[in-house]
Amino acid sequence: MDWLSRQFSTRVLSLMVVAIAINIVIGYTVQTVLKLPIYLDSIGTILVGVLAGPIAGLVTGAASNLIWQYAPGIGGGTIGPFAITAAVIGVLAGIWGYLGVYRSRPATGARLWAAAIIGVVVILFLASRIYNNPAYTDPNVGGYPAWVFTAIVVIAIVASVSVAGFILVRRDAAGAWVAVAGALTGIVAAIVSAPIAAYVFGGVTGSGTDVIVAALRQGGQDVYNASLGQGLFSDPIDKTITSFVVFIVLTSLSPRVVARFPLGERIVTDSEG
Amino acid sequence: MSETGGVPEIVPEFVLPPPTGAYRRLNPTTKLLIALAEALIAFGVRGWSGPVVVLAIVLASGARAGVGARLVPFLLATIPLVASILLVNTFLYPGATDRIFVLGPLAPTWTGLVFAGQATLRVIAFAMSAAVLGLTTGPDELVADLERRGMGRRTAFVLSATVRSVPRVLERVREITEAQRARGLDTEGRIWRRVRGLVPLAGPLLFGALTDVEEQTMALEARGFSAPARRAVIRTFPDSTPQRALRLLLAAGTPLVLLVSVIGMLGFLP
Repeated sequence: MDWLSRQFSTRVLSLMVVAIAINIVIGYTVQTVLKLPIYLDSIGTILVGVLAGPIAGLVTGAASNLIWQYAPGIGGGTIGPFAITAAVIGVLAGIWGYLGVYRSRPATGARLWAAAIIGVVVILFLASRIYNNPAYTDPNVGGYPAWVFTAIVVIAIVASVSVAGFILVRRDAAGAWVAVAGALTGIVAAIVSAPIAAYVFGGVTGSGTDVIVAALRQGGQDVYNASLGQGLFSDPIDKTITSFVVFIVLTSLSPRVVARFPLGERIVTDSEG
Repeated sequence: MSETGGVPEIVPEFVLPPPTGAYRRLNPTTKLLIALAEALIAFGVRGWSGPVVVLAIVLASGARAGVGARLVPFLLATIPLVASILLVNTFLYPGATDRIFVLGPLAPTWTGLVFAGQATLRVIAFAMSAAVLGLTTGPDELVADLERRGMGRRTAFVLSATVRSVPRVLERVREITEAQRARGLDTEGRIWRRVRGLVPLAGPLLFGALTDVEEQTMALEARGFSAPARRAVIRTFPDSTPQRALRLLLAAGTPLVLLVSVIGMLGFLP
């Protein structure tokens, strides 16, 4: 049980408090004040998962949504039932933390280009899996809103260029792993969220992403598949952006501070340590 | 101004008169269990019955607690979601053919309207149950009572510290937003401008908050947070045998109702 108690040291608990508040406040600001069709409400969850482990990530994710639901002034809405999704995101972040995904990997020459190419290939592969998902293509499930295919291609190209640019400009091969971790987290989050949105809220959430749900429903999708289609569209983008935000934050923090957390040594590079 | 009339909200809670009314006097844990049972039944029992019964109970308890008028902002906050539920489901319900009317490309259906109505009631019942709990139960009261019942010190710390820190972080966001707006940040223009506005907002917030972690850790350790001794809980809240029975009933009865609903034994209800 030592590994479990290490995940809840005083330092981790202090980080969890800050992380939950960041999740709530940035999520609330992005969705309510800036009204963007993404969430950005799991920066704190991924940060805690990566630094402290999967159980700490799970608790941070679930607690964020439950406290947000009941928080005075900004509470209400639909966030509470998605605590399950947030918990899964936290667990995945903990696994990425154990695997050292967010460790900076300075590289040059062929190794750097190989990382950029791997990042692009993986993003295009994931995009192709979404492109061919039954939520969009199965004639037994629903219709074929043509704009979805165009949007997936455009987003995949923009994401590929952004990831390759990030890797090459920062000369850090870790960008490829960070992108993959973010995209995979997003796909899992979409799969977990879809039944919750469909069963609890009739497929919509009252945020900017409902436009996508409406478009898919107009194309003939049923309630569940429209929610899944929207999730597979929004979540990989959202979680990939979140993943890069966390990576930038971690690489900007002093290695001395990062190394004090349970998984810190898996993030700090040898040259920094 | 607080509901006590003339007393500013900055006055600490413990100098205010004790709560009055049957619902407000309930133990905080009882109120938490009531709210959880309401939420589960509102979402778990399909059709009209679940959400209608829950909404009736929530509104009655809210009125009994004297917070009826203060529920209105929470009700208004559900409008974007409710509007979305009503529009998407009434006009775009998959496979529904029982049209109410046809007006050009618009063809709302009865099936979609019924589905949207039930989903709307569920959302409102859930939002109101959360609001009644929030308006009648201080987070510190709830955490103190749960800690007295055996909840771990670390869980209690995370819950109470987070609830206290959210308004502080929101205030910091407001300050950063105003400072960045003064430098030309656009938070209300086209989507691309709003996306660009995120970086100068999130950056200072994240790094500012993370610097607090070290300070808070040292402050907690200096106060013996990791000490093995059990913390004394000074605040106690009245409890009673009927309340204990009610909690037991809610804890055992709610899963039972959900189970009965899932296997279809409540099919006779509308």
